[in-house]
This record gives sequence, structure tokens and C-alpha cells, in this order.
Amino acid sequence: MGREVSESCVDSLLIEMVSTYCNRFYANKSELAARRIEAIGYQVGHQLSERYTMERPRFGDHLEAIKFICKDFWSELFKKQIDNLKTNHRGTFVLQDNRFRWLARLSIDQTSENEGASQDPSENKAMQAMSMYLYFPCGIIRGALSNLGIPCAVSADMSNLPACSFVVRIKA
Amino acid sequence: MQFFGGSEISPSPPAPTATGNNAHMMYVFNRNGVCLLYREWNRPLHTLNPQQDHKLMFGLLFSLKSLTAKMDPTSAEKGNLGVPQLPGQGCSFHSFRTNTYKLSFMESPSGIKIILVTHPRTGDLRESLKYIYNLYVEYVVKNPLYAPGTPIRCELFNTTLDQYVRSIA
Repeated sequence: MGREVSESCVDSLLIEMVSTYCNRFYANKSELAARRIEAIGYQVGHQLSERYTMERPRFGDHLEAIKFICKDFWSELFKKQIDNLKTNHRGTFVLQDNRFRWLARLSIDQTSENEGASQDPSENKAMQAMSMYLYFPCGIIRGALSNLGIPCAVSADMSNLPACSFVVRIKA
Repeated sequence: MQFFGGSEISPSPPAPTATGNNAHMMYVFNRNGVCLLYREWNRPLHTLNPQQDHKLMFGLLFSLKSLTAKMDPTSAEKGNLGVPQLPGQGCSFHSFRTNTYKLSFMESPSGIKIILVTHPRTGDLRESLKYIYNLYVEYVVKNPLYAPGTPIRCELFNTTLDQYVRSIA
């Protein structure tokens, strides 16, 4: 059982959500926009983890919960699993997805070759615009883990697209 | 009626054949005549400056579409010559050929026109143009950083397009 939604609809909705929050609701206040988007992701992740752990027993430890996020949760959301999981065994986990679905079609506007010096600021602006799209998945992971009883902080790193890493720091 | 459905890029592209680019150049216009993309792979002769070139191309297609619809011997109801028609209305012309090049054309229901100029012995490129339209949808329309109606500057789209055009027989 389960209703289906076209993936293009979800993609377009997410694009529009980020664009609305960044350009209309909190124009020039990107910190606030980011926080709102992350809060929306938190709610979504909270509810999704409730749904996807319905018939499972409780998780033994943090690692089990993270593995659930990497395998079952990620496959439900993105039809693939996390490609690489690293940990320092002290509460920090790095989840790496080599081809993150929501960023797969993102490409920067090509700046003209004449602008040598001004290429850096415009590239930074592009990177900043791109990073806004990562707050929602970070919120989802944070919401899912907090519903499983693991408060944490999640940040994302997208230095080499389309691969993307999510860093989960569990609060002691 | 043309259908542009399917979320996966379809049809699957033909197997790559010769190396080197087979096409001369390509234009993409939107419904209002804005040239969204102009790509040139092999064009030894330039006669006009880019603005005039784009305007001429758009005007030519507009007139050709109107003319072909008006001269259609099979359909009973025809608009008046020069009257703009909705995309998909009237008979849709798809290519013309001269002794030195062949121009293939496709218009989507949303008014996106794709023009591909190749060498004269190219076969029917309608399927290829549909594939290029799907590439446009995937890498341009779904790119979060692209604003509709502005010229296309998406790297992913350009590289995939170059790769595909190279493989058209």
C-alpha cells in the first residue's frame, strides 16, 4: 500500500521551496532562510522515520540507527543506499552519497573567460546558492535520528559534486 | 499529436559511430523568440552577426510554419497567412534540405523550438530532436539554478549535448 507521486513533482516542489524561502520570505537573510528550510526537513524526517520503522524492533545502539539511515531509510527516499560510511567511533559519522539524487542535475552558470579576478566572488555566490539545497536533506536526517532517540547536528559538504557527504555529530 | 512523456531519458540514443562532430550548429528558441542556446561545432561561413543571425532564423521558422500550414492540401480549416498559431497546430514541418546542409526542426507543445543543422545526407532526425528535448528537460528545466526564459548556461547540459550530437549518425 502506498500512494505514489511523480518524482518531477517532488523535484520541482523542492526547488520552488528553496527559491521562495531565499528570495521572497527571507530575502537577504540567508541564515534565517536556511534555518527555516532545515526545520521543515526536521519535521519531514521525524514523520518519515516513524513510518519506516513501524514494524521493526528498537535499535541497539547509535551505529545500528545510523546503519538504518544509510540503508533502509535512504533507499526509501532515494532508491539507493549510502555509498560510504565513516566514523571516528566517538560520535561523528560521515555519510557519503556518490550521486545525490536531488543535486544530480545542478550545474553552475558558466562565467565568461574574460572575468579573471571576478570569477571568485561569483563562484562563491553560486556555491552559496547550491548549498541552500542541502539544508532540507540535513534536516531530514536530523529529524529521523532525533525520532529514534539520538539528538544530533547534521551538516553537509559538497566539495565534489555530484557526490555529497553528510556529517552527523551526535550530542553527548 | 506529439507526446513528450516519460521521466527517463528516452528513446535510448543510437550507438556512437564516427568520431568528430557530425552537426554544424544548433539553436534553441523559446516561445517568445529568445535564443536560449546557440552551439556551433563546425561552421566555416558566418554571414551575419549573432543577433541578426538569431532573428533571421526565428523569423524564417515562423514564416515557414505559417506557409506550410496555409498550403496544406489535406486540411479543411486553415488560419490566415501570417497569423501566429499555437504550438502543434497546423501541419508541422520538420526539415528542409539544400545541396550543402539539412536543417531539422522540432517544436514542443510549450513552444520550445530546437533547430539542428547537419550535412545534407543526414536521415530523419525527429527521434534525435526528441531526445535532445528530453535532455533539455532533464538538465535545464530541472536545474535549480536555471531561471526560465534566460539563455542556457548549464555545463551538464552542454557536455551531454555535445556527447550526444557526436554520436548521431
